[in-house]
Amino acid sequence: MDLQTRTENNAIVITISGRLDTVTAPEYEKKILDLIEGGNNCFVVDFEQLDFISSAGLRVLLLMAKLLKEKNGQVRLANVKGNVYSVFEMSGFTTLFKMENSIAAALATLI
Amino acid sequence: MIKIENLSKKFGDLVVLKDITTEITKGEVVSIIGPSGTGKSTLLRCLNLLEQPSGGNIYIDGVDILDKKTDVASIRQKMNMVFQSFNLFSHLSVIENLILAPVKLKGMNKQDAQTKALELLRLVGLAEKANNYPDELSGGQQQRVAIARCLAMEPEIILFDEPTSALDPTMVREVLSVIRRLAKEGMTMAIVTHEMDFARDVSNRVLYMDEGIIYEEGSPEQIFDDPQKEKTRTFIQRIRCYTCRISSPDYDLYAMNAEIEAFCEKQILSKKSQHNLLLLVEELLQLYRPYLKTMALDITIAYSEKTERLELICESAGQKGNPLDSQDLSDDLGLMIIRNLTESISYQWLNGKNRLQLLIKTNLT
Repeated sequence: MDLQTRTENNAIVITISGRLDTVTAPEYEKKILDLIEGGNNCFVVDFEQLDFISSAGLRVLLLMAKLLKEKNGQVRLANVKGNVYSVFEMSGFTTLFKMENSIAAALATLI
Repeated sequence: MIKIENLSKKFGDLVVLKDITTEITKGEVVSIIGPSGTGKSTLLRCLNLLEQPSGGNIYIDGVDILDKKTDVASIRQKMNMVFQSFNLFSHLSVIENLILAPVKLKGMNKQDAQTKALELLRLVGLAEKANNYPDELSGGQQQRVAIARCLAMEPEIILFDEPTSALDPTMVREVLSVIRRLAKEGMTMAIVTHEMDFARDVSNRVLYMDEGIIYEEGSPEQIFDDPQKEKTRTFIQRIRCYTCRISSPDYDLYAMNAEIEAFCEKQILSKKSQHNLLLLVEELLQLYRPYLKTMALDITIAYSEKTERLELICESAGQKGNPLDSQDLSDDLGLMIIRNLTESISYQWLNGKNRLQLLIKTNLT
């Protein structure tokens, strides 16, 4: 897994590529926690280049959403598709997260 | 007609036949199937005494053929054999191949033998090739000549040792149709074959051989539609398996994924199936993780080429219990994914092992 971050419109755009699974989820979790603890509370997570996600990856997304809610923050997901979208559907995540088809559209929904 | 009791055959230290006991009655057509190297051909060769059995008894019409006083030549006249590689005499014409044994061994006069030979060649559809030499015939035609030559000795039993294995697929049918005709006419036959549809159609009884024994036997319906034993099922349903053992919570997920991907590619499974399989394995491993400190987990992925069923089987020793029913799970995300990916899940406590069997959904694959 590779994780890139950049700031756009006062939000952190996180682009994850590769796999978000049992092996990589702890690393992702650590980076997210660091960003949230660093005072960031608006995120767009871009899944364009993510090929695989398992429940280990979903748990980190859930934790992220929970922590941001406590801080009145927000998270949007962009470009969730293919196999990754199937896993979201299987686990009911399509209704838990606000998802958009592009980073720009996701940024536009942040209040 | 043929009675085999506790037959065994060793080649040096290699035990090919362990303990074969069966009977073939008059008019019966028995197909012998099974993986290569499990002793099928050796069994036929022992019946015809082309191999000397290491132990046991064989009776043909009540005569103990392993008794040193038995006239082996007369037994072979009763029970003739058709080989995979035809074994025709290449320096003799087709008709000369057919009359050689009746004239030399049975003392038939040449004219009668020729008349009979032409009759038999007509039976196998090759009368017009009577004066050709084997090299001038296709493989299928040579095998039909071999069958006619076998019939020329008027045997009561014919042993077929993979009669179509050396043939191009286009020629298999012509040979099988000759054998089918013999079956209809009531000839007693034992046929070692890899042609499963043929074995199902032509046989009264099927012997599935594995590990040097008759592992399972029954009617064609029993063996092909409802095999009772695991190895028979694996063979009949052309099940291809990938197995791995995980004996530590620090297993190498990516090494295992690479092996599963290679298995999927070999079975030409779709990318979607491959993804779902990898996801299912990972979710299961997360559920099994707490137990991996104390016990090993055997994972088997089984794909049936015949039914296209894809199954995943998890076997573990240790305490009886289904990890999917565990109360210690922090959430049900993994379970939701597992249930969505599978059509059915069954748990059994079998032979001191927990066995979890999951049938992967085909509409997702």
